[in-house]
Amino acid sequence: MMQSEFEVAGRTREVTVTRTGDGFAVAVDGHTWNVDAARIDGQTLSLLVDNVWRKSYDIIATPDPATKQLTVHVGTTPVTVARNGRRRGRKESGASGAGPQRVFAPMPGKVVRILVKAGEAVRARQPLVVVEAMKMENELRAGRDGTIADIHAQEGASVDAGALLIIIQ
Amino acid sequence: MKKILIANRGEIAVRVIRACREMDIAPVAVYSECDRTALHVRYADEAYPIGPSEPRESYLRIERIVDAALKAGADAVHPGYGFLAENSAFAAAVRDAGLIFIGPTPKAIETMGSKTAARAAAKRAGVPVVPGTEDPIASDAPDAKIAAVASSIGYPVLVKAVAGGGGKGMRTVTDRQELSSAVRAARSEAGAAFGDAAIYLERQLTRPRHIEVQLLGDAHGTVLPFVERECSIQRRHQKVVEETPSTAVSPALRQAMTSAAVAVARAVGYTNAGTIEFLLDQDGRFYFLEMNTRLQVEHPITEMVTGVDLVQWQIRIARGERLALDPAALVTPKGHSIECRVYAEDPDNHFLPSPGRIVALRTPGGPGIRDDSGAAAGLDVPIFYDPMISKLVAWAEDRPRAIARMRRALGEYRVAGIKTTVPFFIWLLAQAEFVDATFHTTYLDEVLQARHGRPFVEPTPEVEEIAAIAAAVQAVLSPAPVGPQNGASSAACRGQWKSHARAEALRGM
Repeated sequence: MMQSEFEVAGRTREVTVTRTGDGFAVAVDGHTWNVDAARIDGQTLSLLVDNVWRKSYDIIATPDPATKQLTVHVGTTPVTVARNGRRRGRKESGASGAGPQRVFAPMPGKVVRILVKAGEAVRARQPLVVVEAMKMENELRAGRDGTIADIHAQEGASVDAGALLIIIQ
Repeated sequence: MKKILIANRGEIAVRVIRACREMDIAPVAVYSECDRTALHVRYADEAYPIGPSEPRESYLRIERIVDAALKAGADAVHPGYGFLAENSAFAAAVRDAGLIFIGPTPKAIETMGSKTAARAAAKRAGVPVVPGTEDPIASDAPDAKIAAVASSIGYPVLVKAVAGGGGKGMRTVTDRQELSSAVRAARSEAGAAFGDAAIYLERQLTRPRHIEVQLLGDAHGTVLPFVERECSIQRRHQKVVEETPSTAVSPALRQAMTSAAVAVARAVGYTNAGTIEFLLDQDGRFYFLEMNTRLQVEHPITEMVTGVDLVQWQIRIARGERLALDPAALVTPKGHSIECRVYAEDPDNHFLPSPGRIVALRTPGGPGIRDDSGAAAGLDVPIFYDPMISKLVAWAEDRPRAIARMRRALGEYRVAGIKTTVPFFIWLLAQAEFVDATFHTTYLDEVLQARHGRPFVEPTPEVEEIAAIAAAVQAVLSPAPVGPQNGASSAACRGQWKSHARAEALRGM
């Protein structure tokens, strides 16, 4: 796990990166995203970020040796990013994270399927629940390894954005 | 014609090399010190050094270029645009060395190179010119006399360099008080840019559009006009976006303007490729502005809507061929084409040149897209020359689809290491005035001034979130900062960008 503070377009963001088998769980100011990162070359990344959809971002990140800043091009939009020093770093210890992970409905929709049972052990990125929104089915996945502590969702139920669906311990 | 030396660099040298290859002609490059690794050198069959990076020590050195052509055993020289392309002494030197100059005669270049002589030629051909002075204003003319001339023309007036081009040595004067200082400034700028401080006065039309007519003339007396191009999107008198056909030109007006263009060209016995520029006023009257005696930067849009390869025809005309083209087809555009000139400039910092190495470059492609470029990842954009890195051209069946296609292509454009004007174009193509084509030559300057430097792209919360994720993930993937690849530019290409690039009179072609 790596926890850092970045200044993004002038705003301080707390970012925690945790390896999760085939990808990363990245928490930005406490909000966790499942990220599939493929490195293309020294400065090019392809990110697939699970939110409502599995969104694709074409990234070119280049350092400016003079200012020690990074210019991160998200598509055609350049964003200036400065790292405020590594606050805490430790060796990868498999996929782990502090505290329970809460899985929320990212937008209003209908719970189509619940794919896990309470007490079940899950792996990071394992699909947990399928929410249908705007005629698209969206799998919500585990951010890290753990055990299903509680299931708040019911199949067929409508949920609001931000509704708590599952807790992983 | 078996071998052609290209007396130029950058995207236009690459463009001419491509035409040569398709005609089974060997292309020969010349290069300055900092262009040793440039694409035009790597694409050519042969390449000869012509001196230090400063243009006046290399790309403007007539004898070195002619020597290289003779050494290479070239049959002909293509000048491209800029540098020596409109220098009659260069055309004469090439001819006197027993080589073919791919362009008009030295005499035609000389006549049309003087703005006042060109205006006289247009008048003789019965083509209206913008009201202004007949002759250059003497360098010792007293202020009172210049003021009298300005009053007779009527304010606002433009003070323009006789040898001008690309907005250099040009000043707008709205009243008498500003006149003397504007004349002094224009003279000094013209002297520095063209080695000729002569100026003249011209009335400034109210919100005109810039419309120009491409011509080809062969050595057998045929001069053919092409459908007009509109270049009204200008920043400080320099073209930024061009399109063809113009929404402001009806078939009847097209007929009148192309006929006028041909008349001017005939009046000076013009051969090869050239462009007659007009201003179109709000009442639909047009005035001769100037003639460019060379290939134009924006020539690709004409190629896109007519299917004619203008560079190949320049070569064919130079080797004596007749213009075997259907005249009606040349003024009947197929679809619509738009060009954006992508510059290594920071649009969010007053469009100042953006120094540095191109770390990454991925240009768009796909249906209807053409990217004419001399840039590549790993190369510096040298400080010595025009900072244009590529010309992005879109073609589609009609104007709305061409705009949609250009916007799609701009969204695919990836460049890192330097700032470019791509974000500016994404903004511009979304403006109502652009979409509705209700612009004129001062539209862009006015709207830029009104924005007070507000950024063209402001990251959304989503983009900022993704940038944070990307920076963190990249740090995990590569714990050590990426090496010095971005910092080490070759010594030959380093220098003082901002002052330098501005001083060069090599753009706005």
